[in-house]
Amino acid sequence: MSKIREQLIQHEGDLAPGTPDTEHWIVYTQKKPEARFRWAGSLNAPDLELALQFSSEHYGLDEACVAILTHHARFAHDGPCGFEPLEAGDSAGDDGTSWCVFGLPRRGGNLELLGTINAPDSTEAIARGTTAYANGRIVQFRVVPEEHITISDGRGGLIWRLHDMNYKFAKGYSKGVREKWTRIRDAETYEDYRKEDIHKHF
Amino acid sequence: MSGASNPSQPMDPTGHEDPEKLAEFEQRIADGVLIEAGDWMPDAYRMGMLGMAEHHANSEIIGALPEGEWITRAPSMRRKLALTAKVQDEVGHGQMLYRVSQELGKSRDDMLRDLVTGKTKYHNCFNYPAPTWADIAMIQWLIDGAAIMNQKTLADGAYGPYVRTMNRINMEEAFHFKSGEDMVLTLMSGTPGQKKMTQEAFDRWWPVSLMFFGPADKPNAESRPPMRWRMKVERNDSLRQRFVNRFAPAAQDLGLTVNVVTKDDKGYVTSATPDEALMLDEATGNWSFTQPDWDEFWRVIRGNGPCNQHRLSLRRFSYEQGGWVRRAITSGTVSTPPAA
Repeated sequence: MSKIREQLIQHEGDLAPGTPDTEHWIVYTQKKPEARFRWAGSLNAPDLELALQFSSEHYGLDEACVAILTHHARFAHDGPCGFEPLEAGDSAGDDGTSWCVFGLPRRGGNLELLGTINAPDSTEAIARGTTAYANGRIVQFRVVPEEHITISDGRGGLIWRLHDMNYKFAKGYSKGVREKWTRIRDAETYEDYRKEDIHKHF
Repeated sequence: MSGASNPSQPMDPTGHEDPEKLAEFEQRIADGVLIEAGDWMPDAYRMGMLGMAEHHANSEIIGALPEGEWITRAPSMRRKLALTAKVQDEVGHGQMLYRVSQELGKSRDDMLRDLVTGKTKYHNCFNYPAPTWADIAMIQWLIDGAAIMNQKTLADGAYGPYVRTMNRINMEEAFHFKSGEDMVLTLMSGTPGQKKMTQEAFDRWWPVSLMFFGPADKPNAESRPPMRWRMKVERNDSLRQRFVNRFAPAAQDLGLTVNVVTKDDKGYVTSATPDEALMLDEATGNWSFTQPDWDEFWRVIRGNGPCNQHRLSLRRFSYEQGGWVRRAITSGTVSTPPAA
């Protein structure tokens, strides 16, 4: 290690005062144009603009995707999470404002954007969402007013993958790793190793 | 990169909890039902999961430090891009895991402050030095490989928000591991000097990798809350054995020698002799091996490792240097940044 890297930073006095946590945003990504938006994660950012930048840099570059959906966490209204898939209810109507309806297909799974419904408030939005989308396949619903949803498809100035980014995916190393291993092991032995590698351990 | 710690052990699940609710909770766990953030859960479960997720988050951001040091010194543009992406991933994992922890009741700022003041821990393996590029290769091959094995079992746990975060993180860990494997293969296909450097790095990281999974669990681990409540689903020794079964033969194929080493207080190897216990038991398929120095493990976890002070002082430096930005964006108060 170089001398400069061995240098220990000395701190004097107490730790500087703390700060409140910044705003909490929830991020969903869409892998292909017709695919559903699926929960990707969340982040802390002070405003929508930075939330979009962070979500693009973090979640937008983690995997191939064509669009990102973001909303502030405080606009999310969650229904109860069932232990069994929910059956459709009987709430219906077309009054009120537009809500985006997200469904959790199973506990521990990822929320998916199912569509939109109109409703006068969040409780009715969840009830109508259950009627429209439950069908025995969803354990929990989340509704978010559509006006608080921001979708970016890359044309709004976000930077998407415009060049070779194989270096940040496991598959980008497959060929090189195979060639190097087969110089050490024969191809058949390597194939056994690779299968075991993936199935048993990863 | 890093697997989570053992959830804190002294948990009394029956103390003040409603016995009926507790029984329902335990039955759900036994039935394989995942717990979501809005469900009723015993305080001990909430605190245990918080401790586990917070430790994991701390490890992700401290784990970025030894590798981050090497971004400027990566040997090619592709390696530099890959390492930059990996470090970014690790910090992103920290972000996601702090979020899981926040939902369990602790503010992000409190977690960052507890980390830099030493109230909470991070993974022991990041208290060791990475003096050569081959150390970066070993961190990605061995430590990320160990992390995937561990985190794959954590993804079979019972807490839904942690499970879905693990699934997302594991997807990225596969890139880290493959990148590391490619680096080790490249170095071991190189010059005698590169091979020597790789062996020396392997000697530094092999025992650290064995310690990665933590000390042996208590004999009744399955009946204690962390495993009974599926906060963790596999014994540490079992994971360690799987790791050795996977990596010891691969290292030998590469021409690396699995050594038993002694180290000085800076984490550098002072002696290395081949591990005579290392052999395959054909009957069980398991490789026997020499256990790492567990006294060293406890010494490091108590703050006396080669790099504990460096890691925490750098983390505190970053926290304090970024304070004026956080204050500006949360309260609109702008003051002169502290001197570097």
